[in-house]
Amino acid sequence: MSLSGEFLAFIVLSLVAIIGGVLLLNLTKVVHMVIALVFSFISIAGIYVLLSAEFIAAVQVLIYSGAITIIMLFGIMLTRHHDTEDIKTNTWKRLILLLAIVGFGFVVYIGIYNLDIPEKPTTLHEANTEQIGIELYSKYIIPFEVTSVILLVALVGAIILAKKDHEEEGDNS
Amino acid sequence: MIQELLQSSPGLLNLGIFSLLAVLLLFVVLGFVTYGILSERKVMGFMQMRIGPNQVGGRWALLQTVADVLKLLIKEDTIPKVADRPLYIIAPVIAFAPAFMVLAALPFTDKFQFADMGIGLLYYIAVSGITTVGIVTAGWASNNKYALLGGMRAAAQMISYEIPLVMSVVGIVLLTGSLNLNEIVEAQKNIWYIVLQPVAFIVFLIASVAELNRVPFDLPEAESELVAGYHVEYSGFRWAMFMLSEYVYMFAMASLTTILFLGGWHPLPFLGFIPAAVWFALKFSLVIYLLIWIRVTFPRLRADQLMEFGWKVLLPVALANIFVTALLKELFSMF
Repeated sequence: MSLSGEFLAFIVLSLVAIIGGVLLLNLTKVVHMVIALVFSFISIAGIYVLLSAEFIAAVQVLIYSGAITIIMLFGIMLTRHHDTEDIKTNTWKRLILLLAIVGFGFVVYIGIYNLDIPEKPTTLHEANTEQIGIELYSKYIIPFEVTSVILLVALVGAIILAKKDHEEEGDNS
Repeated sequence: MIQELLQSSPGLLNLGIFSLLAVLLLFVVLGFVTYGILSERKVMGFMQMRIGPNQVGGRWALLQTVADVLKLLIKEDTIPKVADRPLYIIAPVIAFAPAFMVLAALPFTDKFQFADMGIGLLYYIAVSGITTVGIVTAGWASNNKYALLGGMRAAAQMISYEIPLVMSVVGIVLLTGSLNLNEIVEAQKNIWYIVLQPVAFIVFLIASVAELNRVPFDLPEAESELVAGYHVEYSGFRWAMFMLSEYVYMFAMASLTTILFLGGWHPLPFLGFIPAAVWFALKFSLVIYLLIWIRVTFPRLRADQLMEFGWKVLLPVALANIFVTALLKELFSMF
């Protein structure tokens, strides 16, 4: 494969994504983990851009790196549990884990290496915001509406839970 | 020119050109920030019947901000002992980098623009949200109760006001049929969106002031309650980075307001002989003046009033605006 700009960008972005994921697992402080997660999310958005899915990339940054991580940070900061956790493992367990990971990697490698997806010309990369909108509102209108109802139910549920808490506090005082 | 560059094969020459352009834009923005701060202080002085800075650099204090920045750069860089060191160091970077990244998507004139993206508007909103992470991180890493409170307030405020901000521009997206900022400007050739979407403009202006953390919505750094909010513990150039990102956002937000509502670089009728760049600069300066005016005139809101205003007033108004716009658009396209 020749070294094109796209390939370089892909290498950098996937490295950042993987390093972010590894750091998320290995760091001990919860807030550090969330910041590592943000880097992972943003580089995945960058990979979406490389695949010409701009809309998905922007939504990924807006929802995941913006809103969700901030809500996670909020939750972590407001609940003052002990920040660090110690991990205890024995050697045998580690060895078995390593074998399992290597095995999994090998299987996936074999599966992917000779995978041949026939390339067919598409127009998906042109004005994909418009295409997503048309698809969503013509073919998938019912799942879309049902999703919004589910989200509304979650919203109402959250409000009820929060309100209940407040009333109990009032009774106690 | 940029379009060709973006599609050419990579090489050291391209890297050089891109770096050069980025540095050039950085200097333009730094120049704006320098004189933006000076003009803000001058206008504030004028509105509060003071004189304002008039010592350093002649009668107009033209070197005042330069001197201030120099002072900041040679100040001692302090990191508190109990601070979370890596996060404390990385937080100003996370806060500043998106501020500069959003500038890439803004078309200043039909010639002077960098990336012509199909989703330019969405890109701006999405990337500017990352700064909040930096601010919250700074508040938490400082290990100081005022900083933490400021960071919390910033997170709550920016999440709450991002929603009306996005909702207010949906009307414009409906009318244009595109998220591309160039096409939005092109659609305003005959009539500006401030005329067609006055409600959206007011909601956008209020929400953008809140997003910029400026007075009346500067709760994250309310000096009378929180000392200085999320950047209490920062000093020297790290603090300067927070301030810089704040003013770069002011630059970006004023440009975006110009592009979305004031017709970008399009001239008023019969005044087409004035160059596009001058028109853009004039409209941009008007928005900046408006922002300074708001800062001097209004008192700060209370935290609960802020939340209530965002969710109970701005959001319903923005939603109603979308509904009415969609209805009117359908009605007009019928006839």
